[in-house]
Amino acid sequence: MNLKKYLVRALHRLQKGPGYTYKELLVWYCDNTNTHGPKRIIKEGPKKKLIWFFLTLLFASLVFWQWGILINTYLSYNVTSSLSIGFKTMKFPAVTVCNANPFKYSEVKHLLKELDRLIEAALERILQPTPGNSSENVFPPLDLQLWNQIPLVLIDEHDKDNPVILDIFETNQTAVGNETTAGNETIAGNDTAGANATLEEKKYKLAVKLCSHQGSDNCTYRNFTSAAQAVTEWYILQSTSILSKVPLHERIRMGYQAEDMILACLYGAEPCNYKNFTQIYHPDHGNCYIFNWGMDEEALNSSNPGAEFGLKLILDISQQDYIPYLSSAAGARLMLHQQKSFPFLKDQGIYAMAGTETSIGVLVDELERMGYPYSDCTMNGSDVPVKNLYSQYNTSYSIQACLRSCFQIHMAEICGCGHYMFPLPEGVNYCNNEDNPGWAYCYSSLRSSIKQRQICIDSCKETCNDTQYKMTISMADWPSEASEDWIFHILSYERDMSTNVTLDRNGIIKLNIYFQEYNYRTISESAATTIVWLLSSLGGQFGFWMGGSVLCLIEFGEIIIDSLWITIINVIGWCKGLRQRRARARYPDVPPTVSELVEAHTNLGFQHEAGGALPGDEALPPEPGTPPPNYDSLRVQPLDVLSPDSDAD
Amino acid sequence: RGRLRRLLWILLTLSAVGLILWQCAELLMNYYSASVSVTVQFQKLPFPAVTICNINPYKYSSMKEYLSELDKETKKALETFYGFSEGKSKVRRSVDEWNSTGSDLFEQIPLLKVEDFFRTATDLHTGQKRKIEGSVFHKDSSIVNSGDSNDIIGFQLCDTNNSSQCALYTFSSGVNAIQEWYKLHYMNIMAQIPLETKEKLSYSADDLLLTCFFDGLSCDKRHFTRFHHPLHGNCYTFNSGENGTVLSTSTGGSEYGLQVVLYIDEADYNPFLVTSTGAKIIVHDQNEYPFIEDIGTEIETAAATSIGMHFTRSRKLSKPYSDCTETGDDIPVENLYNKSYSLQICLHSCFQKAMVDSCGCAQYAQPLPAGAEYCNYKKNPNWMYCYYRLHEKFVKEQLGCQQICKDACSFKEWALTTSIAQWPSTVSEDWMLRVLSWDKGQKLNKKLNKTDLANLMVFYKDLNERFISENPANTLVILLSNFGGQLGLWMSCSVVCVIEIVEVFFIDSLSIVMRRQDVERHGHDNPVCIDEDLPTFNTALRLPLPQDSPLPRTPPPNYSTLRHAFTEQLPDTLELGQH
Repeated sequence: MNLKKYLVRALHRLQKGPGYTYKELLVWYCDNTNTHGPKRIIKEGPKKKLIWFFLTLLFASLVFWQWGILINTYLSYNVTSSLSIGFKTMKFPAVTVCNANPFKYSEVKHLLKELDRLIEAALERILQPTPGNSSENVFPPLDLQLWNQIPLVLIDEHDKDNPVILDIFETNQTAVGNETTAGNETIAGNDTAGANATLEEKKYKLAVKLCSHQGSDNCTYRNFTSAAQAVTEWYILQSTSILSKVPLHERIRMGYQAEDMILACLYGAEPCNYKNFTQIYHPDHGNCYIFNWGMDEEALNSSNPGAEFGLKLILDISQQDYIPYLSSAAGARLMLHQQKSFPFLKDQGIYAMAGTETSIGVLVDELERMGYPYSDCTMNGSDVPVKNLYSQYNTSYSIQACLRSCFQIHMAEICGCGHYMFPLPEGVNYCNNEDNPGWAYCYSSLRSSIKQRQICIDSCKETCNDTQYKMTISMADWPSEASEDWIFHILSYERDMSTNVTLDRNGIIKLNIYFQEYNYRTISESAATTIVWLLSSLGGQFGFWMGGSVLCLIEFGEIIIDSLWITIINVIGWCKGLRQRRARARYPDVPPTVSELVEAHTNLGFQHEAGGALPGDEALPPEPGTPPPNYDSLRVQPLDVLSPDSDAD
Repeated sequence: RGRLRRLLWILLTLSAVGLILWQCAELLMNYYSASVSVTVQFQKLPFPAVTICNINPYKYSSMKEYLSELDKETKKALETFYGFSEGKSKVRRSVDEWNSTGSDLFEQIPLLKVEDFFRTATDLHTGQKRKIEGSVFHKDSSIVNSGDSNDIIGFQLCDTNNSSQCALYTFSSGVNAIQEWYKLHYMNIMAQIPLETKEKLSYSADDLLLTCFFDGLSCDKRHFTRFHHPLHGNCYTFNSGENGTVLSTSTGGSEYGLQVVLYIDEADYNPFLVTSTGAKIIVHDQNEYPFIEDIGTEIETAAATSIGMHFTRSRKLSKPYSDCTETGDDIPVENLYNKSYSLQICLHSCFQKAMVDSCGCAQYAQPLPAGAEYCNYKKNPNWMYCYYRLHEKFVKEQLGCQQICKDACSFKEWALTTSIAQWPSTVSEDWMLRVLSWDKGQKLNKKLNKTDLANLMVFYKDLNERFISENPANTLVILLSNFGGQLGLWMSCSVVCVIEIVEVFFIDSLSIVMRRQDVERHGHDNPVCIDEDLPTFNTALRLPLPQDSPLPRTPPPNYSTLRHAFTEQLPDTLELGQH
C-alpha cells in the first residue's frame, strides 16, 4: 500500500518536474552537513569562499587517498609477530635412535657375499692399475652378471681430450669419443680451467656406468673425482637392489634388535627399558627405535630443566658388525622430533660418537603462523596436491614427507618402480635389477633433474606450525678409564646373562637429552590489521581532515540520490518540452507569441499542483515572472549579500 | 548559563585539549618504532660459501729455513727455564747447528724469568740478572692475580727511542708465555716474506682436499677458491661465487650437501705455533670476509663431522629507527677488506688505520692500507712496543673504534648444529684408507693414517629460510588516523577545526590588536583605518560582534534584498522557503 502511494507520488513528481535545482541542493547540503568544511564555503565572503572551497576539496581528496592506502594495507594481510621465551612444562620430544649401519653384517652376509667379493676384486685391480701383474691373483670365479648390470669403469685421462674407458674386469678398451651419449656429470664447473693448473693431474678416475637397458648404447658415466665415493655409491646402488627383494619382516630381523641396542634407559627418576620404545623400520638406518612417539599413549611431559630430569640412554652400536662398504661413519644416529611425526634422519639427525657421553640440551623453537590469506602454509597438509605416502606410518604431514612422496610418485611414474628409500605408492613395487634393469639409470637421471625438484618444491607447502629442537651438544669421554671395566661387565651381563664382556669402547654410547633452563621460544603471529583496525583508521582519517563520520557519508549518499532524482526529472521535463514544441509546430498558422513561450518555459516549476514533496508550492498562485514573497528571502539572507549592501550604503 | 556550569565546561574543554596534546605527543614519540615480522619460506636456497683451513698455516718442513733460528731459541728457552730437553719430546730435531749466532732480535726481546717481585729478571740469552724499569703488564694475571709471583715468565718490550719506556708482559703460565713470544717473532719473520712465497709454502688444494662431493655429484678443486689468510695460510673457499655463479641446493639432507675428506698432515705441524690438530671451517656468505680466527669451527681428525645448517636472514631498519648502516659508506673508516661491510671488518680496519698512524707500519694479521707496509723488526724496530700499547688501548675502547663502527643492517646467519661420528669405522677403515691413498696419488706408497684425515659434511637441515625483518610500526597514514581519532574522541574536531581556531585566535586577534594600536595612535575616530582592515572578512565579522545578536532578527533594507533576490538569490530563497 505504502509502496503504491510512493510510486504514485513519484509519478506525479516526474510529471511536474523538479522541485528545486542542483544549486539549491548543494547549498542546502553545505549548510546542513556535519562535515566540517562545506559549511564554511557558503558562510564566508567570496575570497574565503574560494579558499575554503579548495581546502575542502583538498581535504576530501586527501581523505580518499589515505583511505585507499589504508584499505590496501588491510588487504595485504600483514602479520605482527610476538616472541615469548621461558620455561614451562612441555611435552618431551620424541627421540629416535638408530644405528648408522642398517643391518648386522653377520645376518646379511649371505646376501652380500657375491657383492663383497666383486668389490674386493675390483679394488685389487684398481689399486694396481698397471695391467699384467694383476693377473697372478687367483680368485674364485666371480659372478659377473651382477657386475655387468651396473659396472664400475676406470677412465684413463692421460690424454685429456681423448679419455679411454677401461672396464675393470674386461680387457677391451673403448674411447669415449665413440660412445653415443657420455654425460660428464660433475657439477657445473668448467673443465678447461684445471687443465694447465698442475702437472700432477690425476690420471685415472672411477666412474659408474649406468645404462638404460643392459647392453644398450644409451649409457651415462657418473664420474667421481674420488674412488672412495665411487665405490660407496656403487655399493649402495647394488645393495639397494639386492635388499629390496627381501621381505620387510626379514629385513627387520636382520637389523639391530631393541634389547641388543638399548642397554639402559632412565627418564627423569623413572626407569624405562627397550619396551618403551616403538620400533620403526627406516630404509636408511634399518631398525630405529622411537621413545615417546605418542602413538599409543599420551606423550610424556617434562616439568623440570636439567640433565637429571631428562632422558638418559646407554646404547650399543656393535661396530664390529658393520657392513664395511656401506657406511663408513660409525655411531648412533639420533633425532628429536615432534610426536606423531616421521623422523627424517638424513635431514635433521645428528650423530653420537661411540665411546663418548653426549649431552644434548634442548630448546623448543616454535613458530606459529596464521594460515591463508596471511601466509601460504598448510595446517594439516590436506590442501597439498601431493599424496602423503608417509601417512601409512600414521604420521602427520611435513614438508620432508611431501617432498619424498613427490619424488617417489614421479619415480613410480617414470621408472615404473619405487625407490627403496621411500614408502611405496599403491600398486608399485620396489626397484630391483631383475625386474627393472634400467632403474639405476632412471633413478640417477631423475635424482639429478633440477626440473623435477622444482616441481616438488612448488607443489609442497610448509606447515604453519613449525617446531624445531635447537640442540646444544657437548661431549665427554665415557666410560672413564677407571670405571670402564665394571661398566662393561655389568652391561654385558645384563644383556645376555653371561660373564663374557661383549662390549667395548667402539660400541658404547651414552646419551643425555634434557630441557634447558629456558625450554621454549615461541614466535606467534597475529594479524596486524583487523577489520576493527581498518574501521578505526578510516574513521580517524575522515575525522582528522574533515571531522566526518559514517553519518556524513550517508548524508552524502542522500545528496547523490537527490541529484540523480533531479536529473531524471529534468530529463523527463526536457523531453516533454521537446514534444510540446513539436506538437505546436504542427499548427504553423497560429505561431506562439513570445509571452506564451516564456510562460511555457518558466512555468514548469510553478504549476499549480498538489505535490507531496512540495507542500509549500500549493499556496502559491501560478504567477510567472512575479518575484517570490519577500519574507522568504529575507529570512535566510546570507551574510555576504548583506555586507556589500552595507558597504554600498 | 550558570557560572558554575560555565566554569565546569571551560575546565572540561581545557582538559580535553590537554589530553589531545598529550596523546598526540605520545603518538609522535612512538612514531619511530619498529615491529618485527618473521616469515618462513620454503624454497631453493643458495648454498653458502664454506671456507676450510688447516689449523697449521704453513708446512713446517718448508718453513725451516725461515724459522730455524727462532725454533732454536725457543728450545733453548725451554731448556733453560724448564729443563726440557729435546730428546724426550716428539718435536722433530732441528738439523741446524748451534753455532750460528742469534740475531740481535732475540737479544732485544728475550724471554725473562721474573723474580723478586718484579725487581730483577733473569735474561734467557745472557743468563744475567738485570733490573727492570718501566711499567709492568700482566697479560694473564690482570684478571686473577696469582698470589706467589716470584716465578713468572714474560718478556719486555721497550721503546727504542726512549729506553726508559718499557713494558713487561708477564704470564702466569709458561705455555702462554712461550706461545705469545713465539708468535711475536713469527709475525716479524712472516712479514718479510712476500705473498707469493707464502702461498707456495702453504698447502695446495691437492694437499688439503682428498674427495669432494656436492649435491649428489662429484666436485674437485676447481670449485674451490684459494684465499690466503695471514694466520691460517692457504684456505680454500667452496662456492665462493668468484666466477659469478653461486650454487644452490633444492634438497636438504646430508646426501645433498657438501662432503669433503680433508688431508691434515699432522707430521708437518709447527710445534710451537699451533698446539691442536685438525681443520677450521667457517660458513659465510659469498660477500662476507671469513674471519676464521674469530668464529671458525674446529674439525677433529679421524672423525666425520656433520654440520646441519639452518638459514636465517635478518634485516633491521636503518636510521631513524636504529643505529645501523646499510652499506658502510657512512662510516668514516675505510674498508680494507675487499668484501661487504660488517662490524668485524670495521673494527679491524679501524685498528689497522690507528696502527699505521701511530706506529708507521701495518699489523701482519690484517690487510694493508694503501701506501703502508707490514711491520718488521728491521724497518720498524719500535713496532712491537707500539703495537702492544695500541692493542691495549683498543681493548679498553680508548681508540674510539667501537664508537665509530656500527652494526650492519642486514645480515645472513647460518645456525650450525655440529655432531661427530667415528670415521672411518673399524671395519671399513682398511679399504677406506687404501682407496683414499690411491686417490691421493698413485706414487704415494705409504698408506694414510686415519688421524691425518677428517671427514666433513655441511648440509641444509631443511630448506626453510627464516626471514626476520623490522618494519615501521607506524606509517604517516596511521599516525594521522590516530590524531584524527584523538581529536574526534575528545573534541569532535578536525583539521578544519584547527584551521578555524588558528584563523580566529591568531590572524583575527592579531588584526584586532593591530587595530587597537592604530586606534590608540590615531585617536578614536579614524574611519579610514577601519576600512583598511575590512578586506579580511572575519575582522568585519568579528568587529560588530557585541551588536551581533540582534542583527539577524532585524530585516535589512528591503530594496537591497529585492534587488538581489531578483537577480540571483531567487532560487535560494525559493528552496529555503520550501523547507
